[in-house]
Amino acid sequence: MIASNESKGSSLIELVDLTKIYRVGTEIVNALRGVSLTIRENEYVAIMGPSGSGKSTMMNILGCLDVPTSGKYVLRGQDVSTLSQSRLARIRGRQIGFVFQTFELLPRTTALKNVELPLMYAQVSRKKQRAMAALKRVGLEDRATHRPNQLSGGQKQRVAIARALAQTPDIILADEPTGNLDSKTGEEIMAIFDSLHAEGQTIIVVTHEEEIAARCRRVIRLHDGMIASDETISPVSAPAPRERVTTP
Amino acid sequence: MTTATSIPNSPTAAGGERARSTLLHIAAWPWRAINWFGGSVERHWKNITAAFVQVWANKTRSVLTALGIIIAVTSTITVVSFVQGFGNYVTDMLRGFGTNMVFVIPSMPSGVQGRMMGRVVMDIDDVRAVGAQCDKVRRITPLMFSNVTIEYGHEKITDVNLRGTTEQFQTIRSFYADEGRFFGPMDVDSGAYVCALGRDVLKDLEADESIVGDFIYLNEHRFKVLGLLEKKGAAFDESQDRIVLIPHTTGVKMFPFLSRFLPMVLEATSEEDVEEASLQLTKVLRTRHNIQPGQPNDFRILRQDEILRDFQKVQMVATSVLAGIVGISLIVGGVGIMNIMLVSVTERTREIGLRKSIGGRRRDIMAQFLTEAIVLSTLGGVVGILLGYGICAVASLHPSMVEVKVPIWVVAMALGFSAGVGIVFGIIPAFKAAILHPIDALRHE
Ligand SMILES: Nc1ncnc2c1ncn2[C@@H]1O[C@H](COP(=O)(O)OP(=O)(O)OP(=O)(O)O)[C@@H](O)[C@H]1O
Ligand SMILES: [Mg+2]
Repeated sequence: MIASNESKGSSLIELVDLTKIYRVGTEIVNALRGVSLTIRENEYVAIMGPSGSGKSTMMNILGCLDVPTSGKYVLRGQDVSTLSQSRLARIRGRQIGFVFQTFELLPRTTALKNVELPLMYAQVSRKKQRAMAALKRVGLEDRATHRPNQLSGGQKQRVAIARALAQTPDIILADEPTGNLDSKTGEEIMAIFDSLHAEGQTIIVVTHEEEIAARCRRVIRLHDGMIASDETISPVSAPAPRERVTTP
Repeated sequence: MTTATSIPNSPTAAGGERARSTLLHIAAWPWRAINWFGGSVERHWKNITAAFVQVWANKTRSVLTALGIIIAVTSTITVVSFVQGFGNYVTDMLRGFGTNMVFVIPSMPSGVQGRMMGRVVMDIDDVRAVGAQCDKVRRITPLMFSNVTIEYGHEKITDVNLRGTTEQFQTIRSFYADEGRFFGPMDVDSGAYVCALGRDVLKDLEADESIVGDFIYLNEHRFKVLGLLEKKGAAFDESQDRIVLIPHTTGVKMFPFLSRFLPMVLEATSEEDVEEASLQLTKVLRTRHNIQPGQPNDFRILRQDEILRDFQKVQMVATSVLAGIVGISLIVGGVGIMNIMLVSVTERTREIGLRKSIGGRRRDIMAQFLTEAIVLSTLGGVVGILLGYGICAVASLHPSMVEVKVPIWVVAMALGFSAGVGIVFGIIPAFKAAILHPIDALRHE
């Protein structure tokens, strides 16, 4: 886990005027139209917004899975757009832990092996112990030898979180991690994120649910590819956030 | 490479510095190599086990995919082993004749020059001259060729090979009498009516070994049977045992015109001396036959070592042509593998996306899919080799079949080629997988 006291408050992610344009045939979709924001160490951020507002697009860029059309993305002081493919792969493997709505576990592969995968690409030592520790962290050490088809949805997502944790990433990016789960299981998943945050982990969660967003310390609302609001909530009382609607 | 970039004033200091850093570098090398190799071995091993899991998970498909390779390798192994089996059989037989043996046959050169030379004559004096004047010739004997009818009791057989020769023949051709005796120099000198019989003649005459000492009729001449020749077996489908040997002097009395058409067979002092012996005898015969420089020989030299070499050449060509033809089917097998690997890459696009999103580099994905193709094709090769072995083993069981042994080099080659096919035809699908964009791959449906 990240030593929170040492690096607390320093800027981890900086987006400057980020845009993303998709071209489908002759049609042009402006998925992101100038997003600028800063995320610091140990922040716990919820990204909300109506469907199609560009949340996933932004997350994919943050996760170095996709590249912006224009604008700058600086991760820990490094301009990501200048990096080679293999450096990007290295960042995806070591600095970012991505959690998908659809889990994306390898079928016919045990939970443990799934968690070991990023460690294998990173060529680190003691893979098994590390993967086991990550599974323990999400409370699944007794399911290590189970295959995805032998796990419940919530358990699958916990394996996916363990996989994201295995490399002790700088930041965990979760795009609707509870989207495919019932609300009770969703609660359990969010409880894991809560405790990870309490240990100093930086987390960004995309969600549609206000209750989930309310757990976070900061809520960024996207609308039509732009930031509509960006509020820091006091942990004690969580007032309903005001929504500022902007027209492009 | 870490080399000293700044050049200090003192050249000796620079030399010392460089030497030290080079030394350190060299010292670090084994450690680095082990590190790199260790890490990569582990990843290769992971890829290989993952490939096996993948192959096993899609058993039917894997078998169908590798079928082309299996068939190609099976047929290559079988064909090459059969050609080699027959070849070895013939080679052994030719070796049995002795590789330092030379035949000399009177023969009119073809064309105008031949016709101008008139009749070809080679007689016993030529044989004696070659024997006397060529120091590289250890043994020599005339070998008169003809056919006879044999009568014994009520039995009569025709078209038996008759050879008129001397006692030297046994040693030169290693063809000995194992019952009774061969005729000796006295019999040859006196032109005695004596003979030695091959085993098949005995069989055709429906006689047994008690024929030794008895009399038979060769073209109505009465001959005493002195001995029986050991069994030689067939060469090129012709029995070597349906033969009767008599002194050439006696043969000349039976067939006077053959005295002027007398082939000879000789043995050089060693295999290496065959060449020299041929040159020597050519010189002797040309001189004796008054052949002018520029004129062709009026005889032909057949060298056993050349026959063997020619045969081995033919065998090699036949092997490579056949292997080449069935080798082409390996390409067909490779295309099959490529096809399925392309399908597999498409099917597993999301997996590729996931692997990329958690740190898999292009080369990692490439290695994974290339390994899978290689494992698939090599497994096909292994199955093909086993099938080939099976076919050869079963074929060898047949009594009239030569022994078919699978040469180890063809096994190694089959393995190498099938792995090579995996590499060649796995590259494109693996590359296709490697260059996938992570998010596009993850979104694939
Ligand atoms: N690959 C693509 N090609 C073309 N258009 C795309 C592509 N991906 C996203 N879009 C478009 O970009 C816009 C933003 O999409 P995005 O997936 O980021 O939305 P979202 O906020 O995640 O929505 P949701 O809440 O439904 O997941 C949408 O209008 C979508 O149609
Ligand atoms: Mg989305």
